[in-house]
Amino acid sequence: MVHIPRVGIGGPVGSGKSMLIERLVPTLAQNGYSVSIISNDVISKEDADRMRDNLATKRGLLPENLVIGLATGGCPHTAVREDPSMNLSVIEEMEAEHPDLDLIIIESGGDNITTTFSPILADYFIYIIDVAGGDKYPRKGGLGIESCDLLVINKIDLAGLVGADLKVMEKDASRIRRDRPFEFINCRANEGITKVAKHIIHDVLLDARPKSEIRQRARS
Amino acid sequence: MLKVSAPVGNIFLDEWSDSSKVGNFERLKISRMEMEKRILRRRTDRGTDVGLRLDSGTRLRNGDILAVGDDHQIVVEQLPERVITVRIKTGSSKETMILLGHIIGNRHRPIAIQEDTVIFPIYANSEKKVFADLFYDIIDHLELTVEDRVFSPHSGADVHGH
Repeated sequence: MVHIPRVGIGGPVGSGKSMLIERLVPTLAQNGYSVSIISNDVISKEDADRMRDNLATKRGLLPENLVIGLATGGCPHTAVREDPSMNLSVIEEMEAEHPDLDLIIIESGGDNITTTFSPILADYFIYIIDVAGGDKYPRKGGLGIESCDLLVINKIDLAGLVGADLKVMEKDASRIRRDRPFEFINCRANEGITKVAKHIIHDVLLDARPKSEIRQRARS
Repeated sequence: MLKVSAPVGNIFLDEWSDSSKVGNFERLKISRMEMEKRILRRRTDRGTDVGLRLDSGTRLRNGDILAVGDDHQIVVEQLPERVITVRIKTGSSKETMILLGHIIGNRHRPIAIQEDTVIFPIYANSEKKVFADLFYDIIDHLELTVEDRVFSPHSGADVHGH
């Protein structure tokens, strides 16, 4: 069966995981890439319902049945790390029924700083935090911040309001991430999203053109 | 970008174990966690852009050879990481060993076992004190050291971090 590249997005509650997906999907779609979404949450499916409504129903960027909500119960990290079987079975169905997808985005339920994705589930792991947690966040480290493929720091527009110094966050992130990337973004204003999309296209899709484009070229 | 779907050999195995053949290899230096990935894009120590998209069931190992053509000769080199080595002193009881295993397992760390020594990764030097405290009841039977080394977990204890 075809393996569709998968990006996992994890981070604390309210850091902007769903909002990042709502910004990323249109940016990737503009570049021709077909994306599906699996949204894990502990109890509700509210985030999945919102993304389906905004991205599929209203904007038609993907079919409604390609935004899946999973209510995992228990510890959110369990469903994406220790026992990702629930997510894997949804992915298997997607790979069988929609082999032309370019990418699957998996959102973890909001969790603590030790969240990681099992490499069996996600090929690439984005960890998102926000400045409202204070500028100490990057330097405190933790498995998520240190081991993710891309660290994203959201809500930079709030820095002044909460007394967070972005320069401190940048210096600490550089030190703790060493040569691995991090980006400052503001999802609400769609700021920095292109940079995140570029990381995904370069590091996960390996700069491959969208499958739809390759198919069209083969026909002509 | 040089695309790779599977290693073609391993320098520690078979004919490649002759070191004279691997002296001039470019090195793709990656961490243990990165070695678990199926898709990975990195540059070698000489700047070659490598895009890994491994075939189903293929997993990288330290020393895997990714290319041997005229243009590129590339080998995977696993980076060292910070670990605690716990040497169990001679004459220690089975109780000590069981308790040691229970405490490390409770922290969800992968382990490697070498004769009378258990090795596991840590995320900060301060964890040496954390583990010394956790081992309080058996500390007189143990010798703890922190070092940087290439860590290969025991296949039955390659668990997630917590």
